[in-house]
Amino acid sequence: MRRRREVLVGFLLILPALLVLAVLYIYPLFLSMYMSFTVSNRFSLANYGKVFDIYWRDVVYSVMISLITTFATLVLSVLISGYLRFKNWRFLDLMYKLPLFIPFLIVGHAMRVFLAPHGTLNNLLTRILRIEELPGLSRSWIGLVWAFVWIMTPYATLIVLGAFKSLDSAYIEAAQNLGANKVKIVLDVLLPMCRPSIMVAFILTFVRTISSLTIPIMVGPASPNMITVSMMFRVNYFNDWGTANALGVVSYLIVMVFAIYYLKFMAAERGGIKA
Amino acid sequence: MRQFSILRLTLKLVLVVLILLLVVGPFVGIVLWSFARIWYWPSPIPQEFTLRYWSEVFRQGRVLNSLTLSLRIALITVVFSISIAIPAAYAFARYKLPVERILLFLFLMPQAFPQLPVFINLARVFGRIGLRGNMWGIILAHTMASLVFSLWIITATFKSIPLDLEQAAQNLGASRFRVFWTITFPLGIPGIIAGAIHVFLWSMGEFNAAFFIGAPFIQTAPVLMYTASAGYNMQIASVIAIILMVPSLLFMLIIEKFLKAEYIAGIGG
Repeated sequence: MRRRREVLVGFLLILPALLVLAVLYIYPLFLSMYMSFTVSNRFSLANYGKVFDIYWRDVVYSVMISLITTFATLVLSVLISGYLRFKNWRFLDLMYKLPLFIPFLIVGHAMRVFLAPHGTLNNLLTRILRIEELPGLSRSWIGLVWAFVWIMTPYATLIVLGAFKSLDSAYIEAAQNLGANKVKIVLDVLLPMCRPSIMVAFILTFVRTISSLTIPIMVGPASPNMITVSMMFRVNYFNDWGTANALGVVSYLIVMVFAIYYLKFMAAERGGIKA
Repeated sequence: MRQFSILRLTLKLVLVVLILLLVVGPFVGIVLWSFARIWYWPSPIPQEFTLRYWSEVFRQGRVLNSLTLSLRIALITVVFSISIAIPAAYAFARYKLPVERILLFLFLMPQAFPQLPVFINLARVFGRIGLRGNMWGIILAHTMASLVFSLWIITATFKSIPLDLEQAAQNLGASRFRVFWTITFPLGIPGIIAGAIHVFLWSMGEFNAAFFIGAPFIQTAPVLMYTASAGYNMQIASVIAIILMVPSLLFMLIIEKFLKAEYIAGIGG
């Protein structure tokens, strides 16, 4: 009897949040799937036909950009985390976190100014190298990846470093006693033992990259586009919600395997910590 | 030995300069642009400086209107998001529920899947019920999206409060409700405030929902910034960028000691 009352109270406490989520998240999510299969109120695959005809390049491009971004971000995160696991360098500790809370749109604008042909970076480089002109990196895939890596690294590092620090020092000392140097310890001890956290960093970086709209519209090239930009054009210029939603569903499918791994891992973690 | 240390010092100095260039470099350009009247390549600094664009922030007009609108949306979103998150977080932290895993799945989903299609469809739904081009539409979307991360911050806060305190009060005959209001809630206030600031900053800088749901009648500060930047009005865009950026940086500096990855999922936008 008491147990039943406890469950009831618990549910009542969660209910408002659940309602908000159901009406404002789950419902539009299903709507996007439903709309993607609808053309003038009838079931049709025409929207997906359009995606494959017009946007297959954008889909491939989005996946490629997201993968390159994610790998670069992870390499950087492991480098920073590996260093900070052994040495306490306050400057680096502060610097890697700096971009953490800055809104993506502002990063896009700042990077556009920084990487433009006549931007801050080239202003500096042309002076150092004593040349007249340098091509800008903004509006190219390199500039896009640069902006993404800049904003994704802090959070990924926070995850990886957290995992590195929570690992028992005994493992590291044991490896050191056997004569392993720090690089070897990072590669052979820390990385394998923190694999789940690194997976989570990988997944979150990938998902956040492929679902970002603001950074590609600010610094990305005019063509090919990230899927999100194509979605925006479909809605704004063609008023074509069907194809926009089909693109959305394609982006769900791309992250599906990752998302399921992440949800399982997090549910196990969070469900497992009971005070 | 001494030569070795000089070499190391030089190496460290090069590294410091490089890190500063990569991390702080992108801010330099926008700060200069916000004060620039005339700035032609290849000059490293603007030819003529002005405070005109900064004064526009305080004068009645587009910039001020968009900032006050963003401020109102963010403040109301904080109230909604936090007041819905507190009871749910307490339930996640202290109650054993039968389908807890499924609930966790649901509340984590927005972080695991792209959110843009959801906002686009919300804009469509809101269009039918008159919430498109309306402040409240944006507030609802922001409440949903920020709920997910405010919930985890506050859940973690409640979990970190020792159970003994609550049990002691209960043994003395306090009801569960009273225990919460006299013990758990006051002790959780720092975490709740951190969550509130996080939601506030996120809402201030959010673009996607504000753009699709706010169109075509209302412009939040980020949407105006995008419009200005797309129209090559670098000064206005940079002024808004700095105004939105400084609080984020300050917040990071204040809470960086307590930062843990699991508390701050869902950042960006």
